[in-house]
Amino acid sequence: MSFLILENLSKVFHNVTAVEDFNLSVERGEFISFLGPSGCGKTTTLRMIAGFETPTAGRIILNDKDITHVPPNRRNVGMVFQSYALFPNMTVAQNIAFGLRIRKEPEDKIKGRVAEMLALVHLEDKGNNFPHQLSGGQQQRVALARALAIRPQVLLLDEPLSALDAKIRVALRAEIRSIQRELGITAIYVTHDQEEALSISDRIVVMLQGKIEQIGTPFEIYNFPATNFVASFVGTLNTAEAEVLDPEQGILLMDGVRFISADEDVRTKRRGDKVRMSIRPERLSFAAELHKDNVLDCVIENITFLGSVVRIQVRIGNTKFNMDTFNNPFLALPRIGERSKVTCSKEAVLVLKD
Amino acid sequence: MSSNRLGVASDDGRPKPPLLAQPSFSWIGVLPFLLFVFFFLILPSLTLFVGAFQDRDGNFTLENIRGLALPNILSAYWVTIRISVTTALMGGIFGFFLAYSLVTGNMPAWVRSSMATFCGVASNFAGVPLAQAFIFTLGRVGLVTVLLRDLFGIDLYDRGFNLYSFWGLSVTYLYFQLPLMVLVITPAIEGLQREWREAAENLGATPGQYWRYIGIPVLMPSLLGSMILLFGNSFGAYATALSLTGGLINLVTILIGSQIRGDVLHNPNLGYALAVGMVVVMSVMMVIYYALRRRSEYWLKR
Amino acid sequence: MKRNQFWNWFWIVLSLIYFFLPLYATFNFSLKARKGELSLLAYQQMIDDPRVLPALLFSTQIGIFTILLGLLLLVPTVYWVRLKAPRWRPILEFFSLLPFVIPAIVLVFGLIRTYSGGVFGLTATFAGTNFLLVAGYVVICLPYLYRSIDAGMAAIDVVTLTEAAQSLGADWGTILFRVIVPNLRSAMLSAAFLTMAIVLGEFTIASFLVGLRAFGPVIWQVGQNRAYQASALVIVSFAITWVLMGLINIVGRRGAAEEGVTAGPR
Repeated sequence: MSFLILENLSKVFHNVTAVEDFNLSVERGEFISFLGPSGCGKTTTLRMIAGFETPTAGRIILNDKDITHVPPNRRNVGMVFQSYALFPNMTVAQNIAFGLRIRKEPEDKIKGRVAEMLALVHLEDKGNNFPHQLSGGQQQRVALARALAIRPQVLLLDEPLSALDAKIRVALRAEIRSIQRELGITAIYVTHDQEEALSISDRIVVMLQGKIEQIGTPFEIYNFPATNFVASFVGTLNTAEAEVLDPEQGILLMDGVRFISADEDVRTKRRGDKVRMSIRPERLSFAAELHKDNVLDCVIENITFLGSVVRIQVRIGNTKFNMDTFNNPFLALPRIGERSKVTCSKEAVLVLKD
Repeated sequence: MSSNRLGVASDDGRPKPPLLAQPSFSWIGVLPFLLFVFFFLILPSLTLFVGAFQDRDGNFTLENIRGLALPNILSAYWVTIRISVTTALMGGIFGFFLAYSLVTGNMPAWVRSSMATFCGVASNFAGVPLAQAFIFTLGRVGLVTVLLRDLFGIDLYDRGFNLYSFWGLSVTYLYFQLPLMVLVITPAIEGLQREWREAAENLGATPGQYWRYIGIPVLMPSLLGSMILLFGNSFGAYATALSLTGGLINLVTILIGSQIRGDVLHNPNLGYALAVGMVVVMSVMMVIYYALRRRSEYWLKR
Repeated sequence: MKRNQFWNWFWIVLSLIYFFLPLYATFNFSLKARKGELSLLAYQQMIDDPRVLPALLFSTQIGIFTILLGLLLLVPTVYWVRLKAPRWRPILEFFSLLPFVIPAIVLVFGLIRTYSGGVFGLTATFAGTNFLLVAGYVVICLPYLYRSIDAGMAAIDVVTLTEAAQSLGADWGTILFRVIVPNLRSAMLSAAFLTMAIVLGEFTIASFLVGLRAFGPVIWQVGQNRAYQASALVIVSFAITWVLMGLINIVGRRGAAEEGVTAGPR
């Protein structure tokens, strides 16, 4: 039996379906992300687990107990909010102690636990500060400590980093992940940032319009997107209309250029079917470097320097493709307008499901 | 290391402001305003202030300040403060519940917006017309007085109510105090984040515990600050009291009014001291108000 | 999670009764000037009263002068301080909010003792008295005027706007009258309407300086001996306040009404 089970969960607000038939089993200690654009139902699902929304249908089972109708203040799940939601009238230490005071734990135990939590989030010297004296990143660390202080069964994080600067965002997400691993706590993390989800999660639930599009590890989600939406939402992707020329051999025709694909789905198509073909930018490379299944004539259209990566836009037939190569000071970059050849393996050429 | 040194160098290379600042003419643009304020705010106040410390011959004295302890003056201050505290509390508490119901009660949008407009109107509808409207309502032949007597056999005036007394004045003042409270406390209530309530619940608190530990403490500076504003609002009121009671109630403002018309205290300088006393009370209140407002701004800003 | 709607409606209905009962009672009374039937006689008598219309006209004129002087004093000053003299800002703010601590009765007391007779002798002439009245009204409206205009300038970021206009080659006249003032229109209009509402209802300062020439004291005097006319006047004066507040809502500065409330006629 899984630790947290969401069973046929649905939520309807005034005839608008926010979440529809949501099924998920989470193992103890797992880190799960809900990923999707705003309004996809990810936050509503999280709020149902916290108890702030009552499901229209379905059940929530936590540690073998049905908590669907347990009020939020008796669920013992920790929540971290996007806006931090620190109590402004209390010091950092009082904020962290709040849940323990409510539980009427002895004062010396509370003191110890608060010190432990402050050390965990590296804010030992800020216990007597008020929230408005701290930076955004520090406030969110306090919020994390406050949620963890009550030893919750599950830690829920609702876009906790989206109000923060880019640099702090990256540092804090690594910190959240390492604390979660250290404590072995089960965590559910809501985000609209695909990079964040990929970097932090054991598994990702990609959602769109209240429905689950795909559940999988970051590796699976990125490399084997189940739907057109997942493919385009996660990472950058080149897509193009193509026609099936030979289903058996996996040969596609785009703008008169032949591509060979290893995608099983091509075999289920018929000759002349229109498909949406996709290739990740990093799977393309210059002909000189490797010999691959697809060797394609192209024209260099544009070169963008992104730091560790150089993104080269090439035109194949009449369609523009992005190609990513690692930056290296000895790299001889092509010139714009030059003719060249790019290659990719047949495994890199995928056909999207709608 | 090298980039670090470079950074320091560029910091040092930045042109520094000249040690001897150019003579600044920035005061010129502020001069007309300052002159106006000096002549019509500062100078009149100074006239009263200086007068409060002079005797009839212009010599310095503390006699007028001591004169504030005379029984009728002390009682005027006492009644004025009592009525201000009473209406600030009544308006404050009633206004808070009204504003809270409007903000959090899932009211239709038109209820909220029309109440907001109405509060703007009502808080500015004061003075003489307000007093007269209450005479038509709760005076000896006012609509409500007559209805209660004819329909229910309750004679308000037999039962000790009198519109022209302390409580009558309080009920009338409430008409501008209540909407003022709604207007000034609404932003504070809107500043209470839903997430605070949710975070408290999530940590195990009941709704009662949320109010006790977070809601009320967070709102307290705004509540007190708003009530101080209400206090000042009725402390300086003159027109409403004069036209309701015909000057028969012993308020500081009424006393000053009589003093202006004719030296009822038989000592012009005592009148100045009376006015200075009002400004001192108001200043103390405003200092507290701004201290409280600073705190609630820290807490309630998003 | 669901709170009891009963208490929400309880407070709202209770306050609505409290708000409307005096208005209803006054309106009801104003229709009963003729015995035994409802009529508009009280309103007719009010219009025919030789004191009423001239006083309303006088107070409107005073209101217009107050608005002009107030805006003339504050718009350039606030603009100057934001643009050239930010160090003066705390001083400007302090003096603008200072009238909060000086009740109208104290202000008029000081004005009379300072300017009647002696060196100034302003109250010796009609013009001098009227000027003193306008100045007094500008002082009591100062906190509201300042906040309204300061907030208006903050909202349009006058500094950047001025720099943008300068970089496009505009001269100072163009900047002030074609860039700043048009963008401040709603702030200035709402300030103007509130000032007018305050001046029309004001009693304290008017009664000591100009007496029955102003509208507020006339309402008071009519109330002393003509009850029906007085009730009609109360309704009219409420309607005027309502219209002016409605205009503030229309020119659309949310929260404008609340900033001036403590400057109102008490």
